[in-house]
Amino acid sequence: MDQERRGQWLRGVLDLCVLALLHRRESYGYELAQSLDASGIGPIQGGTLYPVLLRLQRTGLVSAQWREGAAGPARKYYRITPAGADTLRRTAVDWDAFASGVGTVLREVQTR
Amino acid sequence: MTKIWTVAELALREVARRRGVLLILLVFPLAFYASRRDEHTGQSIRFVCLGLSWALSTAALFAGSAARGIEPRLRLSGYRAYHLHLGRLLALWTVGAVLSVPYFLLVRFDQDDVRYGAIALIMALTVATAVPFGLALSAILPRELEGTLVLLIVVGLQMVMDPADTAARALPFWFSREIGTYAIDHTDSGYLARGLVHGVTLTLALTALVAIASGIRLRQRRHLRFD
Amino acid sequence: MNSDGWLQALAGELHRRGLDPDLSRHVVAEAATHLRDSGEPPLQVFGPPATYATAVAESVGAPQPGGGVGVARVAMPVRPPHTPGPVRLEVRGITKRYRRRPVLTSVDLTVRAGEIAAVVGANGAGKSTFLRICAGLLSPDAGRVRVHGTLGYCPQSGGTADFLYPEEHFVLVGAGRGLHRAEARAAGRAHAGALDWEPAGRTQARHLSGGTRQKLNLVMAALGEPDVLLLDEPYQGFDRGTYLDFWQQLWRWRADGRAIVVVTHLLNQLDRVDTVLDLTPAREMSA
Repeated sequence: MDQERRGQWLRGVLDLCVLALLHRRESYGYELAQSLDASGIGPIQGGTLYPVLLRLQRTGLVSAQWREGAAGPARKYYRITPAGADTLRRTAVDWDAFASGVGTVLREVQTR
Repeated sequence: MTKIWTVAELALREVARRRGVLLILLVFPLAFYASRRDEHTGQSIRFVCLGLSWALSTAALFAGSAARGIEPRLRLSGYRAYHLHLGRLLALWTVGAVLSVPYFLLVRFDQDDVRYGAIALIMALTVATAVPFGLALSAILPRELEGTLVLLIVVGLQMVMDPADTAARALPFWFSREIGTYAIDHTDSGYLARGLVHGVTLTLALTALVAIASGIRLRQRRHLRFD
Repeated sequence: MNSDGWLQALAGELHRRGLDPDLSRHVVAEAATHLRDSGEPPLQVFGPPATYATAVAESVGAPQPGGGVGVARVAMPVRPPHTPGPVRLEVRGITKRYRRRPVLTSVDLTVRAGEIAAVVGANGAGKSTFLRICAGLLSPDAGRVRVHGTLGYCPQSGGTADFLYPEEHFVLVGAGRGLHRAEARAAGRAHAGALDWEPAGRTQARHLSGGTRQKLNLVMAALGEPDVLLLDEPYQGFDRGTYLDFWQQLWRWRADGRAIVVVTHLLNQLDRVDTVLDLTPAREMSA
């Protein structure tokens, strides 16, 4: 995949993906990066991920807490807030509409 | 008053940190003294006084030049011109007083048959005049080099001119020769009086000159107004 | 660069960007945990410390050198959209010739409390001359300058006493401003701290590096909190980090209601100031 284009797409949806992952369960930065990679979105570097988390925290869509994990050192755990869940729900609908629009247009090219 | 003391104290610290200059200051008049030690009585005393005046005015000249960069901004920081030049005068007078003590003691114990009180007076007047003389040169002349040359000429003339010559009275350290004659050759007190008047007048005139020059250089310019 | 070195550099860069110290600590700690978990080299995961610090500062809403308006730390409210205070410096019709060559021709400038004015222009355009006239160190051929309040001036170079320690400079300038010794030292140290400089110690001004001597110069100008600050390219010899600190400091002074005139030839700062005075002669601009 063209890395630059992938980066551009990611910029638009990374915060949504993070919110969605946190909607499943609370998590910390490194784990989120692994989950994103595992889900096929591709490797996300810390330099990209943490600024997004900070922005989400600042806008009140996630909350954060330093806590000792079951094993290993203290980590900063992020949890989605009600406002975050709300935003996620609304934006997910918008994204569906948008993505299906893009999909429709692009499929015409593929099938021709 | 705090402002004057602060300037004086820090100027004194500055001088104290110029170890090399201090050493030369201390040794220089000694060289003058030793060079005439074997000649007839008193010549070495005349020379040590001249050496002291030259060393001190040179020190004042350099101190004045070194302060040129910082004085305008101190003026902007709330100092008046008189705080700055009075502080510096006080500091250099202190340096001069401290430096001349060992020389007075040298004369006191190395020379017989001279009027020691008059020698002390010469040294006091030397310190009093040499400092404003050097500062005045630094205020009037643009660079240290010019000032040093002027000092060289003045002290050179002072050595070769006959003190009895009327023109010699125009030289700043004439009083030193005049009172010197009184102290060494035991002449009448007319010498003492003339020398004293010359020295005191000169101190006042040179100090006034320093004040005027620094006042002009650090004046508040007409285009600028503070409300 | 190893992880520790990288994390330390990150901490420094975050500080320079005016980030809240608590938040900075968390960001650094989080990056450290991530690096330990992933075992990857920091440059690959986060990029250069400065770049990452910029990204962090942007996402928490801290002002960026080059981009933002305010000086506020993260926790502080953003600067209200330009509330000009009373006029502090009024320059009218300043004209200056050197040997009949006109250097300044009828220059006007008004700076209010809480404003930064940048003076720009090619070499020899008269930037320093203009500032020296404003400070009253030089007389113009025509025109007048009015200062409402007190004045602080920082020259391009010189202006320090070679044989004195930095703290003695603070005492000297402080006494002029009516500060006691302890007050002057404390104020000097505080201003120096903002420029990431620890001035205690017995180093005579002549032994300081060029950049540090300029910091001393800047602190001397700022002592006693004058209402108007005239700064003549004070950042000569500053490294990049100190340069950022310097602008942070300017914004803090602006937020405190100081009127600042700063001479600069680097145009990339111009979006961070309120007024720009270009002294480049008209015929050169059209040429």
